[in-house]
Amino acid sequence: MRLEEGQLDVAVKSATNGVVVRRAWQKHVLTFLMVFGPGLIVMEADNDAGAVSTYVQAGGQYGLHLLWLLVVLLPICYFVQEMVARLGIATGKGHAAMIYERFGNWWGRFSLFDLLAVNFLTLITEFAAISLALSAMGISSYVSVPVAAVGLTLMVVTGSYLRWERIVIALCLMDLTWFVLAFMMHPHWATVAHNSIVPTMPAGGVTSSLIFLVIAIVGTTIAPWQLFFQQSCVAEKRLRFADLKWARLDTLIGATFTVLVAGAMMLVGNYGFEHRVSFQDPAQLAVALGPIAGNFVRNGVLLLMVNAAVLGTTAISLASAWAYGEVKGWEHSLHKKLWEAPGFYATYMACVGAAAAIVLIPHVPLQLIIISVQVFAGLILPSAIIFLQLLLNDRELLGDRWVNRPWNNIINWTIIVVLFALSLLLAAQVMLPSLFKS
Amino acid sequence: MATMDVSPTTNGFRVIHPLDDVAEQKCSSDGLGQIAMTPSVRLSLKILRGYLILMSLMLIYHVLDLAGVLTHVKF
Repeated sequence: MRLEEGQLDVAVKSATNGVVVRRAWQKHVLTFLMVFGPGLIVMEADNDAGAVSTYVQAGGQYGLHLLWLLVVLLPICYFVQEMVARLGIATGKGHAAMIYERFGNWWGRFSLFDLLAVNFLTLITEFAAISLALSAMGISSYVSVPVAAVGLTLMVVTGSYLRWERIVIALCLMDLTWFVLAFMMHPHWATVAHNSIVPTMPAGGVTSSLIFLVIAIVGTTIAPWQLFFQQSCVAEKRLRFADLKWARLDTLIGATFTVLVAGAMMLVGNYGFEHRVSFQDPAQLAVALGPIAGNFVRNGVLLLMVNAAVLGTTAISLASAWAYGEVKGWEHSLHKKLWEAPGFYATYMACVGAAAAIVLIPHVPLQLIIISVQVFAGLILPSAIIFLQLLLNDRELLGDRWVNRPWNNIINWTIIVVLFALSLLLAAQVMLPSLFKS
Repeated sequence: MATMDVSPTTNGFRVIHPLDDVAEQKCSSDGLGQIAMTPSVRLSLKILRGYLILMSLMLIYHVLDLAGVLTHVKF
């Protein structure tokens, strides 16, 4: 391998840097810990405010009946994101740049526009959730939203990817509290286990609202921004070829953790279902649960809603800023100082600032926006995922080592067909509503 | 390289963080141009175009319906 000028310094530094360990298992553990991060973050950030709302609503409307869907979505999440991590490690570039380079400007612009549009709508929902949750705790939106926007900006402008990553992993781990809340709800665990494995039909059968919710759950569990985010994140962290197995483990842990947290959210919603609590959003549910389950549950749900929104905002804004920076040819790295990558940071701040400002406009229909974004994301995901699948079959670019194996392709095309089918089902529901009972 | 093995019997293994390690030569698209239009790529993009057209029509229908424009033509 020929080293370019500037890499020689790194080569010399790396020969003396690092940690020396005595045993092979210590080497494996330490290497994993160094690689760990993007997989967990991309998955857990996907449990954002919209996801909290969707999962809690699923529990609130249908009890434990939709738990099986999360189990089905676990391998789907993993297989999709594994491809993203593999592509990122193989090319060292982000997803937007790869689409531009291999599919031309038209598809590149289309993908970028889609990504930026859906991301921006999603960011509005994140700030809406912060506003809702903290308003329920007596903090004015005119305080909470600007403070959150400033905090989210400060998180990224430190000039260190690792600092940002550590903060975000800590936020991800705060979601462990969902398990505490779920246990406090005392669900019937045998039913939980049964409904996680065996699909059961809710009372009322297949209705348009059930299909709407199923598509919303799929849309929120596998979001287009995740493809762009993880690939850019892997490139940003400069993961090496040999890191792929650890990146896969990171992704698997992230997918499993996320699905378990989503299940815990459904259990909290189910508690509202069992107690016939009527609610439009998780903040209303939290307030209603206060007198029944105690203030810990009330404040826990509200604060976790804020945490979910913060996680979602930083990841989604970064996905937009990385993608736009790649396409524009700007410096686009968290390793850079504010003045070294002005366009990249300006994009991030513009996303955060504009979404925060829109939420402060009075009478914005927040819950409607939250659900609509999930459905919209579910609709455009098939197009994003097709480019991923084609890139992973691009032997000219990736060579034999990194392209999909035949079994990868069978699984991934099946996933794509299912996503297309769900999207078409939604289309039929909208265009031919008489097909479904309301 | 993920880790630099430094004499396992004496010094153990040197584990280097990816950010501190030597940059690798990645798969590059420089000079490759656009992806080869194999039958599967062409078919995938055609299906995607059809899907996007269908979704756009659906969206237009839905917006017109919500706006009340279609009430006169429904049967």
